[in-house]
Amino acid sequence: MTVKVRFFARFRELFGTDIVTDATPGTSFIDLIKKIADKNREGYDAIFDTNGAFREFVILMKNGRRIDCADAGKTMINDGDEIAVFPPVAGG
Amino acid sequence: MIAIQKEDVDIGQLINAAKKRNAGAVVVFDGIVRDDDIREMELEAYEEVAVKELEKIAGEAKTLHNLCSVDIVHRIGRLSVGENILVIVVSAGHRQEAYDGSRFIIEAIKAGVPIWKKELTKDGGRWVPGEHAHGSGKSIR
Repeated sequence: MTVKVRFFARFRELFGTDIVTDATPGTSFIDLIKKIADKNREGYDAIFDTNGAFREFVILMKNGRRIDCADAGKTMINDGDEIAVFPPVAGG
Repeated sequence: MIAIQKEDVDIGQLINAAKKRNAGAVVVFDGIVRDDDIREMELEAYEEVAVKELEKIAGEAKTLHNLCSVDIVHRIGRLSVGENILVIVVSAGHRQEAYDGSRFIIEAIKAGVPIWKKELTKDGGRWVPGEHAHGSGKSIR
């Protein structure tokens, strides 16, 4: 199945704008992001702490809806999903 | 008008449009690029989500503060010092509602709408830290 992953702000600079990637059924949100981040040490460290958990300030979205970082391991990815990962917002 | 756009905003036009027959006050918030020893500011947004969230905030502000009209225009792209970043124009029957509604909108935008700013300096650039650092994923409005 195919999933679109979007990074913004500093994370976009580290990983790129839009990433279209394949994922196997049963892949969780955190597994998918780790698979992408594993290829980029600086990017991985920006998003994950030393225990492999999302850093507390990282914001996650699936199809435009926020996902609690604590739920990222049990949130499964489906074909056609749009996933977003970004740092705290600073508009206005 | 709720929009995220690169183009500048005609504030005068928004003010005129906000003057509904039942309005007694119009409040304008104009956030501009401040000279913090920067060359320019670059703004980016998760546009599809940000527009929906701005629409939701506008609806909530109208209901909570009894507003006659709400316009929110947030700019993206590269902006120079002094340029408009965010324009909020609200009208209400009375000044208190208009002030409160405008304040509600700017605080809600800062709290949760996916927009980011990068200050471009002579030495490179720095991302402006958010005022509401959190990763709980829960709505904080």
